[in-house]
Parts: sequence; structure tokens; C-alpha cells
Amino acid sequence: MTAVAAKYEELKALGAVVLAMSVDSPYTHKVWSEGELSKIVPGGLPYPMLSDPGGRIGQEYMVYDEDNGVDIRGRFLIDPDGILQAIEILAPAVGRNVAEMIRQVKACAYVRDTGEATPAGWEPGKKALKPSPELAGKVCEIWSPEMAF
Amino acid sequence: MTLRIGKPAPDFETSAYENGEINKVKLADYRGKWVMLYFYPGDFTFV
Repeated sequence: MTAVAAKYEELKALGAVVLAMSVDSPYTHKVWSEGELSKIVPGGLPYPMLSDPGGRIGQEYMVYDEDNGVDIRGRFLIDPDGILQAIEILAPAVGRNVAEMIRQVKACAYVRDTGEATPAGWEPGKKALKPSPELAGKVCEIWSPEMAF
Repeated sequence: MTLRIGKPAPDFETSAYENGEINKVKLADYRGKWVMLYFYPGDFTFV
């Protein structure tokens, strides 16, 4: 989450907000934030830490682990209309890739704004596809796998 | 409530800590913005 904080300005520039959530109480969040996170991120985290008592919200998002009583590492990208656009859920010992999270915000926003589709590995400036009946069966003429990298 | 791409994200209201303050936060408060909501296993772990 400090990695997300390091890239927060980039997310903000995209019109995105970040919400972090765990089963901890807001008071625990406060102690951790003031005692440790503020030493890693000057001024503390630039976004709110939400509390999910008993994992009620985590259950709705399919990330609550009843055996351990915690919310596992799920990440949900929600568009300006409140519609779910991307999901990633990782095993507890595996950290996230913040650069990929940001790329997905850019890709989802591009799709929303243009109606085009972003092929594998798309980044701003790379070719996007205009879905149409004419394109069916002809993607291979305008896109190839090396364009994904 | 269905959890599915293209469907509304489940709404919630809960308390949040930010900048020394504890306030209520609702997902619906953020309409008009992209929201990156992420869960993590617990405070005082690596996240």
C-alpha cells in the first residue's frame, strides 16, 4: 500500500481515487499509519483506510477468508458510474503490481471514452482496435503479438 | 448481489481513517470518479 502511495499522484491525475480496506478497526489503522506508514510515506498515506468489521464487505466482494478472519488481496476497479470494470485477487503472500493497476485504469478509461478495445499489452499511444463486423477474422492483419510488448 | 464485471459494484458504508480523522465513507460518494478499491489481509503486515 505504500507502493500505491508512491504512485498516487499519477492515479489522481487520471481522476482515480484509492480506497484501502481490511478487517482492522479505524483505530488500528490510525496506530499503524502514525507509527509505521508515516515513516515510509512522508505525511502518511494520501488516501483513506477503510474498516471492514467481521469481513461483511469482503464477503460481498468474494475476498473474505473465513478460516483466517481476514480479507485477502483483492483489487477492484470501479468506473465513474459505479460499475465494476476489473478484478484481481492474489494469494496472501504475493504482492501487487502497481504499474499494472495504473495501466488498467488507463485502458478502462480509454475504452470508456472512445468505444474502442485495447488489445493485450496496450498502453497509451499504442494501437487500439475499433470493434466492427469488418474486423471479425481480420485482427491478424492489423495486430500481432509483438505489439503487446 | 452479483459480483460481476459490467454490473454495479456492491455498495457499502463504513468508517475510514484518513489524515488523523475517522469519518464515514460510502462507495456511492465517489460517483464520477474511477475507484481503485483494494483489500489487504491486515495492518502491520506487508501490503
